[in-house]
Parts: sequence; C-alpha cells; structure tokens
Amino acid sequence: MPRLPEPRFVPDCAILVDGVEVPARAGESVAVALVAAGRPLVSRSYKYHRPRGPFCLAGSCGSCLARVDGQPSLRTCRVACRDGLRVETQNAFPSARHDLLAVVDRATPHGLDHHHLLTSPVALNRVVVEVSRRLAGLGRLPDRAPGPFPAATLETFDALVVGAGPAGLGAAEALAAAGRRVLVAEQAPRAGGRLRAGLPLRGEPPLAWAAEVEGAVGRAGGELALATAALGLWRDGGSPIAALAAEAPPRLRLVRASVLVLATGGTAVPPVFPGNDVPGIFAGRALAVARAEHGLLPGARCLVLGEGEEAAAVAARLAGGGLEVVARPGPALLARGRARVRAVELAGERLRCDAVAWVTPPAPAAELARELGARLELLPALSAFAVAVDAEGRTGVPGLFAAGEVTGPLDGAAAAAAGRRAGEAALRG
Amino acid sequence: MARTVLCACEDVTLEEVRRAFAEGHRDLESVKRYTGFGTGPCQGKSCLAAVAGELLRLGATPAEIAPFTARPPLQPTPLALLATADPGALPLDPGVPPPAAGPRPRPQGGPLPERARVVIVGGGIMGLGLAYQLCRRGERDVLVLEAGYLNAGASGRNGGGVRAQWSTPTMIRLARRSLALCRSFAADMGVNVWFRPGGYLFLAPTAEQVARLERNAALHRAHGLATRVIDPEEAARIVPELDRRRFLAASWNPDDGVVFPWPFLWGYASRAAALGARIRTFTRVTGFEREGRRLTAVRTDAGRVTCEVVVNAAGAWSKEVAALAGVPLPNRPTRHEILVTEPLKPWLGPLVSVLGNGLYFSQSQRGELVGGMGDPDEPEGVVSGSTLRFLSRFARAALECVPRLAGVKVVRQWAGCYDVTPDNNPVLGAAGFDNFLQLSGFVGHGFMMAPAVTEAMAAWMTGGEEDEIFRRFTLARFERGETAREDFIIG
Ligand SMILES: Cc1cc2nc3c(=O)[nH]c(=O)nc-3n(C[C@H](O)[C@H](O)[C@H](O)COP(=O)(O)OP(=O)(O)OC[C@H]3O[C@@H](n4cnc5c(N)ncnc54)[C@H](O)[C@@H]3O)c2cc1C
Ligand code: FES
Repeated sequence: MPRLPEPRFVPDCAILVDGVEVPARAGESVAVALVAAGRPLVSRSYKYHRPRGPFCLAGSCGSCLARVDGQPSLRTCRVACRDGLRVETQNAFPSARHDLLAVVDRATPHGLDHHHLLTSPVALNRVVVEVSRRLAGLGRLPDRAPGPFPAATLETFDALVVGAGPAGLGAAEALAAAGRRVLVAEQAPRAGGRLRAGLPLRGEPPLAWAAEVEGAVGRAGGELALATAALGLWRDGGSPIAALAAEAPPRLRLVRASVLVLATGGTAVPPVFPGNDVPGIFAGRALAVARAEHGLLPGARCLVLGEGEEAAAVAARLAGGGLEVVARPGPALLARGRARVRAVELAGERLRCDAVAWVTPPAPAAELARELGARLELLPALSAFAVAVDAEGRTGVPGLFAAGEVTGPLDGAAAAAAGRRAGEAALRG
Repeated sequence: MARTVLCACEDVTLEEVRRAFAEGHRDLESVKRYTGFGTGPCQGKSCLAAVAGELLRLGATPAEIAPFTARPPLQPTPLALLATADPGALPLDPGVPPPAAGPRPRPQGGPLPERARVVIVGGGIMGLGLAYQLCRRGERDVLVLEAGYLNAGASGRNGGGVRAQWSTPTMIRLARRSLALCRSFAADMGVNVWFRPGGYLFLAPTAEQVARLERNAALHRAHGLATRVIDPEEAARIVPELDRRRFLAASWNPDDGVVFPWPFLWGYASRAAALGARIRTFTRVTGFEREGRRLTAVRTDAGRVTCEVVVNAAGAWSKEVAALAGVPLPNRPTRHEILVTEPLKPWLGPLVSVLGNGLYFSQSQRGELVGGMGDPDEPEGVVSGSTLRFLSRFARAALECVPRLAGVKVVRQWAGCYDVTPDNNPVLGAAGFDNFLQLSGFVGHGFMMAPAVTEAMAAWMTGGEEDEIFRRFTLARFERGETAREDFIIG
C-alpha cells in the first residue's frame, strides 16, 4: 500500500512516466508520486549506469533527476505533478529499469579509472575519446525554452532570512516584531523546516507557529516566500546581493538587505556502506515529512537506521498505516537490491526491507556563508564544516548572521532560540 | 555490484577516493579534481562530508579537508532565468576575497631540498611542462615550487581550448606544435587528456570582422592550416542550433579542438617526478637572495633553497614574484570568469567564439557546456571572486547565439586570471638578473601554448636550439618599443 488510507491522500491525477500512467496528487512532487507508485528507481547514474532514486526529497542530493516536460535533468523532488505531465527517465538504454549500459557497472568491479584507460596507442585513444563522449552526459538538449520568465526584479528589504525552519522563523519573528521589513526565502513549498516532519521532539515549537510568524512578517510589510531558493550571495556593487529563484510563478528576484540571516539548516547526508546508493534508501526526516504531507509510505517494510532520539522519533512516526517498521542503530554493512533495496545486512543479522530511513544529523548547509567568506569550523563527528558564530549568531562578516543547524547540530527548540537571538542582535546592529 | 558510492552525481566510489589518496592527491581540492566528486549537479552538498570523513581517516588534516570554494549557483539554474537579470544593474566587483588564511595544508611531496640547480616558481602547466621537458633533456636537478595544489592557478580554471587559428606566423607555428603534442599526450604521458578535435568556429557579426577573418584565413592557409571562411548556412550545418541571423560569416578550422586541462598537470608532474624532478605543493616562494647579477637562493614558507637558475612561471602571480626580486614586469593580471552547465549528451562539436563580445563556449568530454566571456570593464588585479553580473552577461550572450540553450542549467561558476601584457605576447628569457628566467604573460591562451613553449624553452636552457621567441619576446622589447600586438584574443 503506497499511501495512508485517508481521503486527502487519494490520487487525483496521473503523470506519464516513459509513457506509462502513474497516479499522483496534483501539487505533490514527481519524486513522491514515483515512490508512492512503488518505483523509487528514477534514472541511471552518470558513469556506471547504476539505478538512482530519490534520497533527500528536498532538492539537495541530485539523485532523482529525470527529463520533465522536455527539460533535461530536473530534480523530480522539486517538480510539482499535474495531470498529463511527461516524465522521461534518462541516461538509460532502453529503459531505466532494464539498462543495457549497466554492463559498465558489472565490467568494472574495482571502478573505472578513466585517467589511465587505454591511453595508447594514439589511434585507440581516439576511439576511446569518441566512445566515452557518447556515453557521457545525462540529459539531451531541452526541447523548448522554459518560462517565459519576466525581467528580474531588484528589491530591497531591511533583512533577508534564508530558510524558514525553526531558526529562520525565530529570527524573522524577532525582526518583524521590531517592525523590520523582512523577506524570508524558503526553498521548500512549505514553511517549518524540520518541524514539518511532525516528530514530537522535546521542546520543539509546533508547526502552527510558522503561520503565526508568516502573519507577523506580513504585518510588518515583509514576506514569507515559499518555493523560493537562494541561488547564491555575491558582492556585485560592493554589498551582498542575493539571487532567489521563485518557482511559482517562475522568476528571478535580486535582493539587497543590510541584514542577512542564514538559517539554511542542514543537508541530509547519505550513509556510507556498500550498496548505499540503491533506490529505496531515504533521509529519515524526509520520509517523515512526506508521510505527514502526502501520506507517503515508502514501501511495506522500512528499516530505520540510526541512533538517538531523532531515530526513535522517526521510527515512531513512520510506523503504522500499513507500514511495518524495524529500527536498528546500525552500523549497516551492506544493502542488497538493484531496482530497489531488498535487504540490509547488519552485524550478525540480515533484515528484509523495501525501504530504509537513514537518520543522522545533517551536514550544515554552509554554502551561502562560504560565498561571503565567513569562517567555518570542523565538526569532527560529522566530518563537516559549520558556520562559526558567537552566542548571538554573528559570523564576523558585517551584517551576516547564522543560526540553527547551519552552525552545527542542535535541536529544534535550541534552533528557534538561536534564531531569535540572531534576529535581536541584528536589530542592535 | 555493491559499491560504496560517496558522490552519487558523478558516481565516485570509496575505492576511487582511496586510490586518489594513495596516488598522492591528499587534500580535498586535489581529490575533487582527480575523482570528479562534488562537481555534479548537487555541487558537493551531499558528498563533501563523506569524502572529507574518508580523507580524515586516511590521515588528512582539517586544513586539508576544508571545503572547496562554494561555486554558485547553489542549484542548477536555467540560462534563461539568469538572463532575466540586467547586468547594467550589477556593477562589477572583485567579489569575495577568500577567507582569511586559516591553517594551511602541509607542504606535500617531501621535505624541501637544500639546493637545486633549477628552481621553477609555479606548478601550473608552464612550470610542470618545463620541468618535464628539462628532465627529458637530461637536466634533472629541478625543483618545482607551487603555493597551492596542482591546478590551483589558471591551468586548473581554463576553458581547455586549443587552436591554431592565430594572426601571426609565430603563434600559428607554436599552436600547431602544441596541437600535435596534445594529440599524442595521452599515449606519450600515460594519462587521458580527452583531446577532441571538434574544430573552432569563430563567428563574425560585422563586415569588418569578416574581413579580419579572411585576412587570417589566408595566412593560415599559407602555413598549412585547413581554415576556411564559411557562410552562416555552412556554419549551421556544423552547429545547427546557431542563430544564423547573428553573424555574417565564420572562420572554421576542423583541426582545432578542446582538452580536459587538469590531467596535463598530473601527466607532466608524474613523468617529471619519475625522471628525478622534485615537486613541492603548498610551498610558497616568499623572496630571493641575490649576489650581483645573480639570484643565489629562493626563500619559501617552508625553508630556503640555493639554486643556479630561477624560472618565474607563476602565471598571473608572475608580476608579484618578479617584484620579490625587485624586477618590474609590465604584466596586468586580470580576472576572467567562466561557468559550466549540467552535462548533456553530445550536441556541440566545435568551440564556438563570437568576435566582438568575447563570448566562447564548447562542450566538454563530460557533456557540460563550458563557457566564458571577458568583461571590458574588468580592472587589473589578481582576484578570483565570482560575480552575478557575469552569469547574466554570459546567459544573455549565449542565448542570442544559441536560443536552444534557454533551458540548459548552469551548475558552477568560477574565475581565474589572464596574465595580460601590453602586446598580448609573453615575457620570456632573462630579466633583471642573468639567471632569472621569465615564462609568463600568456593572456588567455597559455594552456595551448604550454606544450610547445616549454619544449622550446627546455631546449634553449640546455644549450639546444634557440627559438626566435626567446629573442623577440624579451622584457627589453617594451623599452625598445619593438612590440607587435597579437589581436586574435578571446574573452
Ligand atoms: C577562465 C580562463 C579560461 C581560459 N581559457 C583558456 C583556453 O581555453 N585555452 C588556453 O590555452 N588558455 C586558456 N586560459 C589561459 C591559461 O589557463 C593560462 O594562460 C595558463 O594556464 C597559464 O599557465 P601557467 O602555468 O603560466 O599559470 P598557472 O596555471 O596560473 O600557474 C601558476 C602557479 O603559480 C603558483 N604561484 C603563484 N605565486 C606563487 C609563489 N609565490 N610561490 C609558489 N607558487 C606560486 C600558483 O599557485 C599557480 O598554481 C584561460 C584562463 C582563464 C583564467
Ligand atoms: S534532489 Fe531530489 S531526492 Fe535529493
């Protein structure tokens, strides 16, 4: 059973995947519809033609790419379904499920050393260059132009908050309460960040708080912009400028603000063990969100892998409604399966499952801070770098603040508080 | 096959990362370039931590796994969307300086020797190519000092274009020799450089430029090139997606091509090292010791080396390095920005360049569109920050040329520096001191010049034939006013 048996989750349209109808709900992502339809395999990978499917369901991992409506390599977890939407799998011959080119995977057990592959004689090397060129590349040229897009607007706000998770909401609330015009940019179609997972974690603010903040931001002349992703921060003209890609309607917004609060949270990091890329392995938080918002059941039997309070909460959240859940702290030694995961081997144990929820602290999404030259610090346990901040979220770069998981792992309540402190510090200048 | 995949976009496995480390690529920047991890559509967001974790386990230090420079845009973004920004509203800016120096990666390649006969400053393609060519000619007491990782400079940031279509006999001759060396580089050096002779197509939007192309083509034919000036119809048979209303004629040489730049440096470095050269990365030259008309020692942040000959092959930093010896060079390092898009199945054969606006693009072996565009307003300075202005300028110019690119998504932008001289020709030979040799000033075409020029320079340095370039392109020519400008510059 692919979805929770509730009226609001009943499919109301169909998308066409390689010409075959797949039931979907208008507005949900193509990736969610595919997983709900029991086909987590979306495409083939770049080099080895390995099966690839969604992992993060949040636009960051890039493993859910397909050709949609004639546009190559779109992240299907960021494309909304509508009736008749054409989805084509990529980089596979004849189809993603049965790809003859997967012979590359089987023929190179120790990997493909493309640097030293058949370098001589010259004539043979020329053939290698030609053949490998044909095999490389993912999508084909677009059929037509996307858009049309209107001319980009140049806007000014008192503050730009990137991310509408607990930290971003906290910062926006503090700024709006003092009458500041704030633009909150959130790449997801809904506000709340990790609060959307509905995990009953200690001290976390309720998701309804997001709506309150949105109201306060609006009353102060600001805006909470959903489905609006920050593409980067540059310094054209000497002061930071952000480019935001808004999805509905699609357009580019250029924003200058004297205060920037980065509350971009973390990026789901895939597990590391043999078979870690088999379709059907998902970020735990993403599955919890998809269940709450789309009634998605990732399979019939889901292994929740991970330690700590959050893993337990994810397991509790996913169980029921027709999904059997087993939870293990790990470490996993091997995932088996091709088109989708079949079993996971752990020390002394082999667990059958058709989905895996991987729960681990996310890696700080520190890219925007790096673009403006903020100092980072290593988190040895995650082997990731977090934005270094003082107690008030100052990064050392004038006007640039950071709060929440982008500064290292912390729980939702602490993130909201950190966001608030950063917002208040920004008010003091 | 149960692989452990660390980078799902580019299919880079744990085993491949370990192999790269074992082969001497020990810091994150080098491993990124060698394995390709982090260069796919996800931009390293999901793989950085996994690869860094493995490198830490293998013995890297925190400084060695510091994240690579963030490359906007953070999400694959269609050119058509970027084209909606008005570059006029985005004043040029040097961009963000790299963060204040934290701990530096450890010098790599072994301890610094006390002496070396030839010390080469700069481990770009010029420095490493020269080291290899010297070793081949028996001069093996060579030390290359590189401030960063291999490929940190322009050699690791360029468009990979290699062409013989130039406007002077000298440049044509050198470029033809380089093209020949590129064709056999993989076989000779044991590393793939993906040389693909897809041709170069120069588009001329004005009658004046058409006349220029015709003059050049005549010169080319006189020097044995296959260059022809063709009409828009024929150009559109080569690249059907071109908007033929945008140009009057094109110059076409099917023997020009593109390469994948990075492996040239690995190839030169490993072959030079095998022959006895010593290559030290993360080792910066900080000064020189002199005695009369000679430099006697090179000072670095990792110690001091006495030497008999110093070669300044520091690319855009050459002026800075020469200044350490009190020698003023007229070079003007100038930023040049570039980007790549998502990888596509093969659709574009040649490198296309539009005369007049500085736009050029080609399709890489991996399928990405690689393209750049010079900015006439760019001031002098060694800066490598990226600008939003470039994204929108490039997007607008590229879509005018090939409207079909509208939906193609940009995944990464970066910048490097051209090392520009007053006449667009290099600075070669001794300058300031009898044993201080210059190998700089290669503007935006040093990559394609390097194979031929380093071969000629090694011959000249070891008492072989003296190529005319070592008489013509001396520093003294600027004082004597004996300059002849090379104008067929892209970007
Ligand atoms: C965006 C861009 C596109 C280009 N496109 C093309 C193209 O398509 N075709 C082409 O032929 N050319 C192209 N070029 C030009 C070409 O890349 C350069 O001319 C060429 O790489 C120069 O090589 P190099 O070895 O002299 O310099 P670099 O590769 O810059 O090497 C110099 C090295 O010196 C090191 N260094 C600096 N200071 C010190 C110090 N004090 N101590 C020790 N080491 C030091 C630097 O770290 C650097 O690695 C392009 C350049 C750019 C920036
Ligand atoms: S980017 Fe779509 S699942 Fe990660």
